[in-house]
Amino acid sequence: MRRYVARRVAALVATLFVVSALVFVVVRVLPGDPAAIIMGTEGSREALERLRHSMGLDRPLTVQYVEWMGGALRGDLGRSLQYDLPVGTLIASRLTVTVPLALMAALFMVAAAIPLGLYAATHHRRAGDYVTMVLSQIGISIPQFWAGLLLILVFSVSLGWVRSGGFDGWSSGAGAALRSLLLPAIALGLFQAAVLVRATRSAVLDVLGEDYVRTARAKGVSERRVLTRHTLRNALIPIVTVAGVQLGQLLAGAIVLESVFALPGLGRLALGAISARDLPVVQGVALFIASTIVVINFAVDLAYSVLDPRIRYE
Amino acid sequence: MRRIAPLVVVLVVLMMAAPAPAQAPNRLIVQSQAEPPGLDMTATPATATSGIVFYNVQEGLVKVDRHGKLVPWLAERWHTSDNRNYTFFLKKGVRFHNGRELKAADVKYAFERAMNPETKHPYAKDYESIGDIIVKDDSTVTFALKSVNASFLQNVARSGSVIYPREAVETMKSAPIGTGPFRFEEWVRGDRIVLVRNPDYHVKGLPKLEHVTFRFITDPNAVLAALKAGDIDVSLFGLGPEHVQEVQKDPRFQVIVGDTTNDVILAMNNSHKPYSDVRVRRAMTYGINKHDVLKGAMFGLGKVLGTNVDPLNPYYVDMSNAMPYDPAKAKQLLAEAGYPNGFDTALKVSPQYYYTVRSAEVIADNLKKVGVRVKIEQIEWGQWLSRVFREADYDLTIIGHAEAWDIKNYANPKYYFRYDSAKFQELFAKSETTVDDKARRDLYLQMQKLMVEDAPVVWLFMHPRLAVAKKGLQGFWKDLPVSAADLSEVAWTPTK
Repeated sequence: MRRYVARRVAALVATLFVVSALVFVVVRVLPGDPAAIIMGTEGSREALERLRHSMGLDRPLTVQYVEWMGGALRGDLGRSLQYDLPVGTLIASRLTVTVPLALMAALFMVAAAIPLGLYAATHHRRAGDYVTMVLSQIGISIPQFWAGLLLILVFSVSLGWVRSGGFDGWSSGAGAALRSLLLPAIALGLFQAAVLVRATRSAVLDVLGEDYVRTARAKGVSERRVLTRHTLRNALIPIVTVAGVQLGQLLAGAIVLESVFALPGLGRLALGAISARDLPVVQGVALFIASTIVVINFAVDLAYSVLDPRIRYE
Repeated sequence: MRRIAPLVVVLVVLMMAAPAPAQAPNRLIVQSQAEPPGLDMTATPATATSGIVFYNVQEGLVKVDRHGKLVPWLAERWHTSDNRNYTFFLKKGVRFHNGRELKAADVKYAFERAMNPETKHPYAKDYESIGDIIVKDDSTVTFALKSVNASFLQNVARSGSVIYPREAVETMKSAPIGTGPFRFEEWVRGDRIVLVRNPDYHVKGLPKLEHVTFRFITDPNAVLAALKAGDIDVSLFGLGPEHVQEVQKDPRFQVIVGDTTNDVILAMNNSHKPYSDVRVRRAMTYGINKHDVLKGAMFGLGKVLGTNVDPLNPYYVDMSNAMPYDPAKAKQLLAEAGYPNGFDTALKVSPQYYYTVRSAEVIADNLKKVGVRVKIEQIEWGQWLSRVFREADYDLTIIGHAEAWDIKNYANPKYYFRYDSAKFQELFAKSETTVDDKARRDLYLQMQKLMVEDAPVVWLFMHPRLAVAKKGLQGFWKDLPVSAADLSEVAWTPTK
C-alpha cells in the first residue's frame, strides 16, 4: 500500500510537470499579445513596447518558463498582469466561491442520481424505469448555460425568490452566500446527475443479477436490506469511478455557469484571464485544476479498497 | 440516500423562500460589461477603466460636458493671449479624497509624469507639445507650449490628464484617489467595484447618490435577467439592440438611445492589392448599402456615416449621402480597375463585438451582387489586435473606433489602414496648428471631402448609445461625447 501510494505520488508530480510545460507553451503559441489586449485600439507602438517590457514579455521563452516553474515550486505562481495581485491569492479568493459551488452541485448530483438510479434498476423495464431514463436523457441534452438561464427566468425573474446572479461574499452571511450559489449548483448538479443516474442504474442492474443477491433473497433478507447492503455496496465501484470523473467535470462546468450567474469563481477567473491573455493566471489556474483532478483520481483509486476490502494495492 | 433526498429538497425550499433584501434609495447598482484591467487611467487606455473612474473618481482641469463642449472644471477658467501660453486658474477649496487640498504643484506633477516616457503613459504623445509648466502660485499654473497646438485643450480634458495627489500614485492601479464626486471604496476582483459619495465634492449639491456599485456581468442574457429580476438598476453598455427592443416593451424600464463617438468602419488594407487602387475602394463604398447594414446589425438604431467625423463633433458635416448605394456604379468602377469579374477577399472580424459579425454578413451579401466574393473569418479578439491592428495582416476588417477626434489616424500612414495621403497629412497637420475656429472648421470640411473622395475605409455607421435603466432614475447623459459614465447627477425621482 505504501509503495503504491509512493508510486502514485511520483506519477502525480510527473503529470503536473507535463501539464505545466503544456500549459505554458499553449498559452504562448496562441496568437494574441497580452500587452496589445491591454492597450486595445489605443496607444502608440512605443507605449505598447514599453508595456511589453514592463510585463517581461520580451524575454526568451525558456527564461520565462524556468522562472515561472521555479516560483511555482516555491509556491509562488507569479503575479496577475490584469489585477497586479499574486496568482495564488487570486485563486485562493476564487475558491471560496467555486469549492462550495462544486460541493453543493456534487451533493445535488448524488442526492438525485443514486435514489433515482436504484429506483430505475429495481423497476427495470417498467414505466418508472422508462420515465427515469427519458428524464436523464433530457438532462444530458440540456446545455448547462441554458438550464442556468431557465432557472434564473423561473426563480428570480418570475418568482423573485433568489437573485439572478452575483455573490456578495461570505462576510455578508453564510445564508445569503449559499442562496447565491443555489441556482448555479442546481444547474451544474442536475446535468451531472443525469449521467450518474445511468451509471448507477446499469451498475445496480449488473449486481442484481448476481448469485449472492438471489441467495440473499432466498434467505428471506428484506428487499430494502438486499438493495442497500448487498447490491448498492457492490455496485459502488463503477458509480464512484464515474462520480470521480464528474467531480472534475464540475470544475469545467463551473466556467460556464459562473459566467451566466456572474459569480466571482475560479472558472470566471480563468475565462477572463484567457481573453485578457493574463498568462500567469491562465497557467496558475490550469495547473491548479489539473492537480485537483489528479488528486481526485488518486482519491477514487484509494476509495476502491475501502469499498471492497478484497482490493489490495501491491 | 433515501433520507438525504427529502432533506435536500427542504433545504432548497428554505433557502429560496427567505425574502430578498429590498433596494435602498440613494444607492445604485450599475452593470459593467468588462472588469477593468486596473484603475489607473494614466496607465491603461481601456474604456472599462475610464467608464468607471473618469468623472466619477478622477477629473481634469477641463471637462467635456454632456453636450460635447469643453468646460472649465478643476480650473475655474483659463486664459491665453498667444495660443502658446495657457494659464489655468484653479478652483479654490477643491480637496482630494484623502483630504488634502488640490494645488498647482499637483497639476504640474501630473502632467510632467504623463510626459515622462518612464511612466508608460498610453497617450504620452499628446503632451509632446508642452514645453514647460510653471507654477505661479498655489492656484495658478501656466503651460508654455513649444508650438501652437489646436488640440491642446482637448488633450487636457482627456481621461489620461486627470489630476491626482502625488502621494497616491503608487496605489492608483487598485485604489484611485482624485477629486471626483465619488470616493473609491473597494474592488472585489471578479465581482464588483464600489464607490461612495464624496461629502466634500467641489460642486454644491452633487453627487446625488450615496453609494454606487458596478457589477461585472458579461453575458447579455445574464444582464437582461439581472435587470428584470431587479438585481441591477441600470445597464450602461453591454446590451445589444435586440435586447433593447425587448425591454422597450417592459413598463418598468426606460431605454436611453443616444449618439456616441464610436464609428464602425469596414477597413481596407490600402497597401495591398486590390485596395491600393482608389477605384476599388470607391467601388466598395458604392457596393455597400449602409442602411441595410444598420438594419441588419443594429435593428436600425444608430446613424449612417459618410466619414470618420462623427455627429457629436462640432465640425461634423453630413456626408452620409456623398456616395450612396449604387451597385451599377460599383461594378463599373471595378471593371475600370481591371476587375470586371470581381475578386475574392477575406474579411476578418472578432465576435468580441457582436456588430462586427452581423455587419460582415450583410456586407458580404451586398458585395456578392457586384462580384466581390467575401469570405468571413471570425478570429478571437486577442488575435485581431495582434494580427489585424498591430501587424496589418488583413484585407478587410470591421471594427468600431470609439475615440473622439480620431481622424488623426488617417494622417498616420503606419496605422493599420495603411492610408498614405500627403494631402490629408498636410491638411491634418495644418488643422492641428490652426486655433481660429472658422479656419479650423474649414480645414475639417476639406478633410471630410477628401476622405469621401479617397475612400480609405468604408464608414458604416455610428454605434448608438444603448442604455437601459429602471424608470424613476434620471440624470444620465443621453449622448456620449466622451468615454465616461458620469453618475454625479444621477438620482432616483422623489416619487419613488
